Amino acid sequence: MDIASGLRIGPFEVLNPLQPAVSRARRYGEHRCPGRLIVVEGIDGSGKSTQLSLLHKWLVAKGYGVVFSEWNSSPLVKDTTKHGKKKKMLTPATFSLIHSTDFADRTERSILPLLKAGAVVLCDRYIYTAFARDVARGMDREWVRELYGFAVKPTIAFYFRVPLETAIDRLLDGRDGFKFYEAGMDLNLAEDSVESFRLFQGRILSEYDKMIPEFGLTVVDATLPIEVQQAQVRQIVKSHLDKASELRVQA
Amino acid sequence: MRETYGKLLPGMRLADLPGKLIVIEGTDGAGRTTQIDLLKPWLEELGHAVVDTGMTRSPLAGDGIRRAKEGNNLGRVTQALFYATDFVDRLENEIVPALRAGFIVLTDRYIYSLMARAIVRGMDPRWIRSIYSVALKPDAVFYLRIGIDQLLPRVVFSRGFDYWESGMDLFPGHDMFDSFCNYQNALLTEFDRLSSEFNFKMIDAAADARTVCAQLKQNILQLLERDSRKTFLARLENTVAAHPAMPQEKPLVRAPNPADAGLFTMANTVTAPSLNRNGNGHHATHHR
Repeated sequence: MDIASGLRIGPFEVLNPLQPAVSRARRYGEHRCPGRLIVVEGIDGSGKSTQLSLLHKWLVAKGYGVVFSEWNSSPLVKDTTKHGKKKKMLTPATFSLIHSTDFADRTERSILPLLKAGAVVLCDRYIYTAFARDVARGMDREWVRELYGFAVKPTIAFYFRVPLETAIDRLLDGRDGFKFYEAGMDLNLAEDSVESFRLFQGRILSEYDKMIPEFGLTVVDATLPIEVQQAQVRQIVKSHLDKASELRVQA
Repeated sequence: MRETYGKLLPGMRLADLPGKLIVIEGTDGAGRTTQIDLLKPWLEELGHAVVDTGMTRSPLAGDGIRRAKEGNNLGRVTQALFYATDFVDRLENEIVPALRAGFIVLTDRYIYSLMARAIVRGMDPRWIRSIYSVALKPDAVFYLRIGIDQLLPRVVFSRGFDYWESGMDLFPGHDMFDSFCNYQNALLTEFDRLSSEFNFKMIDAAADARTVCAQLKQNILQLLERDSRKTFLARLENTVAAHPAMPQEKPLVRAPNPADAGLFTMANTVTAPSLNRNGNGHHATHHR
């Protein structure tokens, strides 16, 4: 483990700030930190957060140092995002940029230092969420991928794949209707929020499908019983922890 | 038609942006704000509608950036992206609508400052260029260049050293003077590099404000004159194409669209060209 020797995180050179990195950094660099980065992806209603929470409990019980990092949770940035959403002032471009800003802050201040410290970092949504949503909003596919060039490549990225109707049924069971941006209402796809949600999330699903081979996402069939999914998830995570002698284990 | 630096934002139309986008660039303390304060009333007096804009003035991200800079924990990537958010919010909601309405947009800094700051902080130049590939190419970039030696007295005898202008986030532990010199020198180097790439018009900002302003005004007049002739001739052609039977001795005196009227301030120096039969209004004598 050679963290100290000029670790490069995407486009930015940590230890040598006044010497611009001339050569292009490898995108989504494999981090050489002792920690492990596990992310879950999927549309709303796919059950990914439930699965992550179960995984969290299991890892804690096993004695690992586990930390959560949620999408859109940076203390520096989230107020701006909230402000923009509340006032409906976000365009596809600023929606994309403010989320990348939030993600950058979490990467710089939380995810990266934690990985260096040997923690298991669990992310509910990661860059693939941005790729799917922003492209569904009409942003250029290549531009968005470049925007997140500083991101650390996850150890495992689970994609909880679920048919659109199943997700909608699950979501509407708990509440009536969707939030403005969640349903893609900013795109004027439909008057009705459920219909807009269906159209928008349909686009997102098709982006996710394209990303499975592109980024080697680990697909979990999210229509299976929760226990069956969790067993699969734990088995895969276990295979990545077995070799991890340098992981910090709680006392 | 206007161009971007490579990528087009969804919903952005590049046609029909008759206004002018004029950028005033330069390092901290070069006198950009002073110049904009002088140029704006002057342009308005000439009959142009003017909008001025600058960093962190977006309703979306301005306050967020200011709050984040108060603390000691704004990371470099985060900073670069926060500013990009601010920029794009102003681009989409302020700059483009103003250009569409025929305004002159005077912008205090543009993507070049943001790129220079990010690159000096170690970002990959290609990464930051890619983000700003969505920006509009301006009509002119005036780079107020000032060396560190001329800059120092201005800083010392006006507002003193500022944490961010001194790049203290880059050199923690240095004193502000050393850090300021290091940081501003790195920025100057980067600006010089950008200067040739993006075709800056260099203005010596070590001169007094009045001299600098005179140079800026001269350059801006040239720009407006050149473009008003171009627009004028293009409009003549269009008018003739739309009315082929128009008698050729009928003088054309006025732009049909009042939104563009500002561009015609200089048009009185151009005598209306007479038109030949096939509606081709080109006359070599009127081009330059």
